[in-house]
Amino acid sequence: MTLNQVRAALARVGLVGIEADEERGAVVLTGAVASWDQYVSAGYAAAGQGFRGVVNRVEVSGLGQQPMALPKKADGSLDGLEYDVVVIGGGVIGCAIARELTRWSLSVALLEKEEDVAKHASSRNNGMVHPGFAPTPGSRKAYYNVRGNRLYDQVADELGFRFERCGSLVLLSASWHRLLYPVAARRARRNGVDGLGLLGRRAVLSREPNVWPGQRGAFYLPSAGIVAPYEVTAAYAENALQNGAAIHLNTVALGFTVHHGRIEAVETNRGTIRARAVVNAAGVWADRVAELAGDRFFTIHPRKGSIAILDKKTAVHQSMVFGLLRLKGVGHSKGGGITRTVEGNLLIGPNAIEVPGREDYSTDPTDLEYLMTHHLSLNVKLRPSDIITYFAGVRAATFEEEFIVEPSRSIANLVHAAGIQSPGLAAAPAIAADVSEMVAAQLARQMEVRANPNFRSRRQVSPRLAQLPLTERARLIRQNPAYGRIVCRCETISEGEVVDAINSTLPALTLDGLKRRVRTGMGRCQGGFCTPELISLIARETGQPPTAVTKSGPGSELLVAETKVGATNGGGGHQ
Amino acid sequence: MKPHCDVMVIGAGPAGLAAAVAAHDQGVRVCLVEREARPGGILKQCIHDGFGILRYESKLSGPEYAQCELEQVIDRGIEIFPETFLLSLGRGKTGFELTLQNRWQGVFTLTAAALVAATGCRERTGRQILLHGTRPAGVYTAGTVQRLINIDGYLPGRRCVILGSGDIGLIMARRLVLEGAEVVGVYEIRDEPSGLTRNLVQCLDDYGIPLHLSTTVTRLHGEKRLEGVTVCPVDAENRPDPARAQYLPCDTLVLSVGLIPENEILEPLGVELDRATGGALVDQTLMTNVPGVFSCGNALHVSDLVDHVSESGEIAGRWAATHARRVRRIGASQPIALEGELLYLVPQRLDPQAKGPVNAWFRSRRTLRQARLEVWAGERRLLERTYPLVRPPEMERIVFDLDGQAWAGQRFRVILREVRSGG
Repeated sequence: MTLNQVRAALARVGLVGIEADEERGAVVLTGAVASWDQYVSAGYAAAGQGFRGVVNRVEVSGLGQQPMALPKKADGSLDGLEYDVVVIGGGVIGCAIARELTRWSLSVALLEKEEDVAKHASSRNNGMVHPGFAPTPGSRKAYYNVRGNRLYDQVADELGFRFERCGSLVLLSASWHRLLYPVAARRARRNGVDGLGLLGRRAVLSREPNVWPGQRGAFYLPSAGIVAPYEVTAAYAENALQNGAAIHLNTVALGFTVHHGRIEAVETNRGTIRARAVVNAAGVWADRVAELAGDRFFTIHPRKGSIAILDKKTAVHQSMVFGLLRLKGVGHSKGGGITRTVEGNLLIGPNAIEVPGREDYSTDPTDLEYLMTHHLSLNVKLRPSDIITYFAGVRAATFEEEFIVEPSRSIANLVHAAGIQSPGLAAAPAIAADVSEMVAAQLARQMEVRANPNFRSRRQVSPRLAQLPLTERARLIRQNPAYGRIVCRCETISEGEVVDAINSTLPALTLDGLKRRVRTGMGRCQGGFCTPELISLIARETGQPPTAVTKSGPGSELLVAETKVGATNGGGGHQ
Repeated sequence: MKPHCDVMVIGAGPAGLAAAVAAHDQGVRVCLVEREARPGGILKQCIHDGFGILRYESKLSGPEYAQCELEQVIDRGIEIFPETFLLSLGRGKTGFELTLQNRWQGVFTLTAAALVAATGCRERTGRQILLHGTRPAGVYTAGTVQRLINIDGYLPGRRCVILGSGDIGLIMARRLVLEGAEVVGVYEIRDEPSGLTRNLVQCLDDYGIPLHLSTTVTRLHGEKRLEGVTVCPVDAENRPDPARAQYLPCDTLVLSVGLIPENEILEPLGVELDRATGGALVDQTLMTNVPGVFSCGNALHVSDLVDHVSESGEIAGRWAATHARRVRRIGASQPIALEGELLYLVPQRLDPQAKGPVNAWFRSRRTLRQARLEVWAGERRLLERTYPLVRPPEMERIVFDLDGQAWAGQRFRVILREVRSGG
């Protein structure tokens, strides 16, 4: 509990010349190291020594502060707006919080620096709704994971997103690992995980005939589930909008006006917004947002993970999630495995690598090789040639490896939802419920907070034809023939669905936005056939020239000019 | 109840159009479904010439060739369902059952006694050849670039790097230059180009575009729009040598790294595929292992000349009609053993009962000078041909005859070997 303990811990990992001080109950590290690995080791060494958190200000030689990608837009269009609550961050956590806040008669705004929600970790994970077995008993992670998992059936029903409780298998690589079952059972009981079972080798094979032949049984976790994480995020955001919340995209919090321990306003690139309460759900940037409010007590250190997506053809080879029991643990990750998606692809990964770049989504050959050697073999039917694409995401990890879900201790109207890495997606419904209560409690001290009589928990959903019975499809096509015209052939997405997404309450105006909303371009051709179609549909619906259409916001324009002959008015695919 | 038609052709590209005409000319009822608004398939965007040298003895543009084929379909009054998407394929009481969707009829079902799958191919993407780095705008497959420029009338970039020396990549290199874009170079991981010689001359040499062999792109750079690529020479095992890596600024990467036959729609029927071609395993009638299901064109194996595509369509269409009329006796087809330097041979099986000349197409594994091809049935040689040069990019076509012999039980072999000069 003393700084000397921290200093001793730093010395033990061979780090000298790092200063440790205390600030607001957190340990603050300063000094300089030669490598990012040393920066990370310093943070871990200081964690768990009884302080509230680690503020790692150690500099890494040759490495400046990692820049945040900022919106290009700068106008005063939001200047002077006033909200009861401003939520910073449009990931699954921020969007879920915004939606939960609309249960009260509060004016709610969500600020997202990107041109769409779910651009970072919330669209860059394997979509698993973890059962809650992995987190340490007694931790906030365990509490929110298990509670969030249980809430998913209801939330999925209300918001109309797909959720499957497919179950997961933690495969055992040695027969004696079965002896660990009582330990596992105790952990499951302490965390409140429902239905843990022990399956013998044959029982595993009878359920999953293509499983890795080296397995010697498995822990079976029936409550594990899967969702499309971007679909969940957009569903929360849309329901928040339908209940009166505002979502300001391309809007980044640049500072706070703090007076007498209260935030009075949020300064953004689009003007100053007055706020009675603020929620920090800024993902990998949550420590910076806390710092802007003068309330930093933790550090986000980015941990990258890569995931490979397999062709939908592979869906028949597996019905549950596969992982491997790793006694030693792989760093601070659950070790990855093979997950299914609600759309039918299999996913392999993720791995876990500490990186300095908080928005570094580049992939490397070594990541993919790791996935192929460690994960692909868990299912004997899978081949490297089944991989259609791969991507990386960055986890917003703290050195305590724990969620931060709490009201600020120094700012009276700020709540932090930070350090929400895996199993954050599973935990989101529960975190959102608690955070909205915390905000309501803070606001209740200055205003009357009543229930919103107009709150509608059910989201109005646009039809997704591929999920409907043929008779229902036929009826929709009669109503709107655009549902009859397929533009994304690999995923069978119609023009009508694309147009709905472009014109929805949460418009998808980019190629990537459409991909997250309706799945166009996610199939085996990876947009080869539908990209020109989608460009012309976005242009037509928004009244922009096709040269203004982007992949992922300004700067990512897809076309540079008309050809010498000139454009042919929308292309030959339809006339 | 009678099926809706005798032969249903899926896809109205060059293979499907030829199949429909050939089936119709056998006196059966033919239907053609096409997911795009206009027939012609990928030919619609191939505005360069060189199509039809074998079939029409002239150098047509892609749209002209497609028009010639389409007119024959129209003249015969063959029923076409345009902009109609095949949702699923199954078996019903009266034959194959196709569940289709379009904007006019909604969702509907058609039945057919025989099917011809002429579904074409798709392009391999960057991630499918394990490209790494960022995922910015400006990375396109060559066919997408071709569509954007030639159909939509938009230029996708100003400074382009082309990866892969496949024919579409070479053609798009020239097309981009004609549109005022700069083409930095064409990079090919192999030590020989994968496109046709005529395209290497007419698209690269004539425009001063450099071709870099044994070199590949290893990394993409740029967050929003592509800013550059790392190119890197490779060793004999295709391993990049990081010491010789070079950064090339560019805003567009055009990928011409292979075509993959599209047969996913056939999988529920249990159609077996050939790993070497990516297409169905067929006999000389181009029938798959599923009786009544035929395959042709680029869905069967990727051809470099449309003339071959049309020819395979004709064969599949004709035999599908024969099958629908139940005049063909299906014998037990036998596999053909490949020996020597053959990458693949289509057909992969022979049905000794199906009379008439056998058309076959093959590619070699590597470039061969003075090569000899032999076709054997048991101890009898059916065909022998020598070639001064055989290159993997240039598909070869052979014809041999099975007539008048009882071949059942005999072993079929096709051998391709390099002949030592003076040997």
